Amino acid sequence: MSAEAPSTTQQATVPGRAEGIATRPSRHRVPAGRRRRRAARRSAGYVFLVALSGATVFPFVWMLLTSVRHRDTVFGGSLVPDELTFGAYGRAWSQLDYLSHFLTSVVVTTLTVLGVLALASLAGYSFAKLDFPGKQVIYVTLLTTLMMPLTALILPLFLQMKTLSLLNTRQGLILVYIGLSLPFAMFLMRAFFETLPDELIDAARVDGAGEFRIFWRVMLPLAAPGVATVVVFQFLTTWNEFLFAQTFLQDPEILPLQPHLFGVVRGQHVTDWPLLTAALTMSVLPMVLVYMRMQRRFVAGLTLGAVKS
Amino acid sequence: MSDLVGTARVRPTARTRRWAVGYLFVLPIALFFAVFVAFPFLRSFYLSLTEWSGFTSPRFIGLRNFQSLADDPVFWKALRTTIIYTAVTTILQTTLPMLLAVFINIGWRGGVVFRTLLFIPVIVSFVVTALLWQLIYDPNFGTLNQVLRAVGLDALAHPWLADPMTVVPAIMLVSLWQSLGFYMLIFLAGLQGIDPNLYEAARIDGAGARQEFLKITVPMLRTVTAVVVLLNLINGFNTFDVIYVMTGGGPNRASEVLGTYLYKLAFGTESGATPSFGYATAISMIVFALCVAAAVVQLRISRRARDVG
Repeated sequence: MSAEAPSTTQQATVPGRAEGIATRPSRHRVPAGRRRRRAARRSAGYVFLVALSGATVFPFVWMLLTSVRHRDTVFGGSLVPDELTFGAYGRAWSQLDYLSHFLTSVVVTTLTVLGVLALASLAGYSFAKLDFPGKQVIYVTLLTTLMMPLTALILPLFLQMKTLSLLNTRQGLILVYIGLSLPFAMFLMRAFFETLPDELIDAARVDGAGEFRIFWRVMLPLAAPGVATVVVFQFLTTWNEFLFAQTFLQDPEILPLQPHLFGVVRGQHVTDWPLLTAALTMSVLPMVLVYMRMQRRFVAGLTLGAVKS
Repeated sequence: MSDLVGTARVRPTARTRRWAVGYLFVLPIALFFAVFVAFPFLRSFYLSLTEWSGFTSPRFIGLRNFQSLADDPVFWKALRTTIIYTAVTTILQTTLPMLLAVFINIGWRGGVVFRTLLFIPVIVSFVVTALLWQLIYDPNFGTLNQVLRAVGLDALAHPWLADPMTVVPAIMLVSLWQSLGFYMLIFLAGLQGIDPNLYEAARIDGAGARQEFLKITVPMLRTVTAVVVLLNLINGFNTFDVIYVMTGGGPNRASEVLGTYLYKLAFGTESGATPSFGYATAISMIVFALCVAAAVVQLRISRRARDVG
């Protein structure tokens, strides 16, 4: 036993390891048949996981493969194209007026993210760290937005936009996005600010710092993980939004990418599948990059929201 | 003594000033809420009692919209489809992600990779999802039918989205595909919160894996499960994007749900050249009522579970 243990000190500091060593003799007593059955069950588990993940990503793989095919080899032929061509990307770029809609998406998404971030962190901080009468009531009222069915809101919102002469303008769309996204972002920011100690604020007040300065210079930098979560989450939802953009913007020229792609498919019967899949691939790319880089933040934001609401 | 008097005199003004700061920080979000959520929503209550095509001013007609709904076969069909769709997706999208989370939580080499792959559909927009699956379901050249033909199951090849019998299940599958990874992550987060000692104790008592799952995992996950069920119900009653993009409610209204019906009444060609805002708003009130009912029932059940447990 002592020969197997790496060293006595390590054994003391790593109890889990010591346990493992202690139980090792009993493991040898497991009959070979049962061990083999366990190994078989484990491989079956892997097969299942691989199959499920494969089926899940298959549509994307198929999308990529179709986008690099020759136009006339789409229908029929093997799944993997014999010859790769990136011609469809060029066609999508030029024929679909891609750049202009892509830039619209970038601008709309960026401004929405900035607006949401600024206002939600202010409010989140206020609800987490400041005291004022009616705080709880106001907070819960704002949060009811999360429960509101969007299909019930879209019609009255459309009329509201008309009244404010914001219909068919990208500014109006951005304002709607900000308005509907703020409560959830505020909820996230409040959760992050609540983890910061009050003493920091008290100390800053003693030093004579103004309230906004405390928020901006002391607290906000410490809530950086919250800021990152809100940015990633908001970026994804705004970039992917389709229903409101499609309803509130009637001029097809000023549509963001997602509703534009939908319009392209709806408008004419597209038989050029490589072109279509290339266009879809390009629209997904920013998402995938953001997700790959900031996966943990994004997942944290989503699960926090779901579990706490 | 003089010090005490001093602070006593200063405190009220300092406190009210701090209150003012609190309100000031919350003001922008409150304005957005009032303009883009609260007012439109309250207005829709009134609009549901009017007849209005958007041109002249709304005409008050009391509950007549709701009476017309009762005589509208399309409404009943859409309501039925909505409820079936919601029930099936809620059951599938709660049980399967839970089982999958427990399964993945066993600890597999490369578990993070599987988790990442399963989550990818979550970051993709409804438009991309729907268009992609439209191509997969395509009767002639879609991958699904090609695969079926390749493995000799020609008889099963099918116009999935064009057949009233298969269109709704086909859309349910898309919904499951897109949300499986998301709900799985929520359950995984819930599993992290279960005390491992519980399993230890059960194992000592000789409990098998199935008993552990039924007697420990399921009861300990009930809060998380409640959230997942509620999210599923609300998403189900509100379902719109995927159906609108994939089938537009067809064929022959087989996949018509409340969301698509009301949208087409307000913005589409459903009622000829004149939109019927009042009637559409009445349907949105039904959707809202379904969501509220789901939330209330949910709250009741989880409160009772808490009292018992």
